[in-house]
Amino acid sequence: MSTDEIEYRVVAQGVEKAFGDNKVLKGVSFTVQRGTATAIIGPSGSGKTTLLRTLNALDRADAGVIRVDDVEIDFSTPTTKPEIRRFQSRSGFVFQGHNLFPHKTVLQNVIEGPVIVQKRPRDEAVAEAEVLLDQVGLAEKKDQYPYQLSGGQQQRVGIARALALKPKLVLFDEPTSALDPELVGEVLSVIKDLAFEGWTLVIVTHEIQFAKQVSNQVLFTDGGIILEKGPPEQVIGDPKEERTKQFLQRILNPL
Amino acid sequence: MVLLAALLTAACGSSQNGADSTATSGVLRVGTEGTYAPFSYQDPATGRLAGYDVDVANAVGERLGKTVEFVQTPWDSIFAALEANRFDVVANEVTITPERQAKYDLSDPYSVGEGVIITRADNTSITSVEDLRGKTAGATVTSNWAQVSRDAGATLEPVEGFTQAITLLNQGRVDAVVNDSIAFHAYQSETDDQSVKIAATIGEKSEQGFAARKDSGLLPELNRALAELKADGTLETISQKYLGANVTGAPEAGGAGRSVWALIGENLWPLAKAAITVTIPLTLISFVIGLAIALVVALGRLSKNLALSNIARFYISIIRGTPLLVQLFIIFFALPQIGIKLEPFLAAVIAFSLNVGGYAAEIIRSAIQSIPKGQWEAAETIGFNYVGALRRIILPQAARVAVPPLSNTLISLVKDTSLASTILVTELLRTAQVAAAPTFEFFALYGTAAAYYWVICLVLSFGQNRLEDRLERHIAR
Repeated sequence: MSTDEIEYRVVAQGVEKAFGDNKVLKGVSFTVQRGTATAIIGPSGSGKTTLLRTLNALDRADAGVIRVDDVEIDFSTPTTKPEIRRFQSRSGFVFQGHNLFPHKTVLQNVIEGPVIVQKRPRDEAVAEAEVLLDQVGLAEKKDQYPYQLSGGQQQRVGIARALALKPKLVLFDEPTSALDPELVGEVLSVIKDLAFEGWTLVIVTHEIQFAKQVSNQVLFTDGGIILEKGPPEQVIGDPKEERTKQFLQRILNPL
Repeated sequence: MVLLAALLTAACGSSQNGADSTATSGVLRVGTEGTYAPFSYQDPATGRLAGYDVDVANAVGERLGKTVEFVQTPWDSIFAALEANRFDVVANEVTITPERQAKYDLSDPYSVGEGVIITRADNTSITSVEDLRGKTAGATVTSNWAQVSRDAGATLEPVEGFTQAITLLNQGRVDAVVNDSIAFHAYQSETDDQSVKIAATIGEKSEQGFAARKDSGLLPELNRALAELKADGTLETISQKYLGANVTGAPEAGGAGRSVWALIGENLWPLAKAAITVTIPLTLISFVIGLAIALVVALGRLSKNLALSNIARFYISIIRGTPLLVQLFIIFFALPQIGIKLEPFLAAVIAFSLNVGGYAAEIIRSAIQSIPKGQWEAAETIGFNYVGALRRIILPQAARVAVPPLSNTLISLVKDTSLASTILVTELLRTAQVAAAPTFEFFALYGTAAAYYWVICLVLSFGQNRLEDRLERHIAR
């Protein structure tokens, strides 16, 4: 079976994670269908970022089974480095604070993974990177260094860098939280385009309207569990849980 | 030039006359023994004072346009007489010593003796000071030469004076005599004794000059006159006349004399060569190896493996907690005792590499730690393993942070290599020491060495600036 025929890009079951005594994830299960966008919303400290990071093994789950595309890991048993690396190779990650490599140009940032890690021909990687940069609207910035770009531009380069590895799943950790308000739109519109193009996305976000507009599925996390999940019109439009209602109320009407 | 010198002489001379009431009429009163052949003695043929010191004093007087009046005084009271203003200067082979320098005005030397080893003419077994080991040497017991003989491993035969020593030598009761070359030349010119010879020199000098009362104001003109006499060969002519040898300290007859500048000039290339062939390679090789050690130690220190990080900590602690000189000595002098005998250069490279390794490890560690965690994570998400992330992402950024302090380490290392002179590495300082020893021109030669060190460090600082500019090109300014 080709991986593109796998119905679910993510199947997570009973994911647990603690930092010391602090249990951040208390048994989380969900699935992400191929070609869909999933938004994770929830109050600070509810575990949403940690949940996202376990999908890329940036934080290793203590227990639970996670399958990303065709790689499944049972985190309650010991894992090997090659196993983890294979698991990680299935997803791309966009950080809240972009984490671009400051000593490399925009183009070098994007081709670093394909050329150095995946050992693909440089010409090919450059050509693909230029297409990606064009897609995020930064073709003419390819030879600049990150410090020469605005926050929104830096984040769009971060997205191009994640896409360059052709992942089966793209993870976004609050991609607009660190941006000035007027720069948020340009980043969200790039992500929206990706959703329409059929990329499989998981996005941790505080942008409720954006989540409603773009996602096929919304997960509301609270206290280390998924309290409510479903299509956006249900979770955001007509939440069942009291906690969800309170949260949305505070976000949508802060005053 | 000559005119200028004459004018200066005249000017100084007149001011001197005005200042010193005892020398009003252009008279220079000179105290001398008159019983110390061939330096100061009564010529039996003419009944007049003669000798090397007498003629030099006369020549100086002539230079200065002054009449020289000699005052004969026994050696034992000669300085008391000088103090009592019985005469203006002493011309009697007064050896220049720090003690005398503190009490009197001493001129530049006009006779320079060298420590020599004297043997019978037919002796071929002694050609250097090292050959004295196990031999019997005659020297005056309180003299510096006695110490030299003992240090060389000879059995010392105490003697009462030079003539007695030579007598013992001729009798075969000592193998060698260690003394001053001037004494030997004087002896030979007096006796024409060809049965003894100078077998070797030992690089120790004694210098003799005029003595005047402290703050007499006479020194500038005395020294100028001596310099002129040396330059035009007069001094050597006098020396040849009385001693049959040139003891003036000037190397060649009629030559310009070996000025400080000439000495520096002669040693410019040897010192540069030492810098280029030893100091710089020693620095660079040690630095590169040291950096490699430092990187490994820094990573060990950062490792989650407790054993590794403790080993790294211990290494850094030892290197930083002990003097570099002691580290050098352990590697060069102590290791042979457990059977590891290293060539001086190799021992120096090892010591300096280990030392740089300890210091630079902490610099590299802190530079790596200064890189945000997000850079490691970003590298991980695009598929890098630890080594790949380190090499491609972390170290290039850490380099920018580490370059200024590492440059400091390198520049310190350049100068620290001078310590290798203590373990027989003939680097820049050692070469300067060797050149300075026989000439006593410490200021000139160590100054030249210092200038070379400075130039090397200047070049390195320039390189540091270039490197920093390069590494900062991706940083907002």
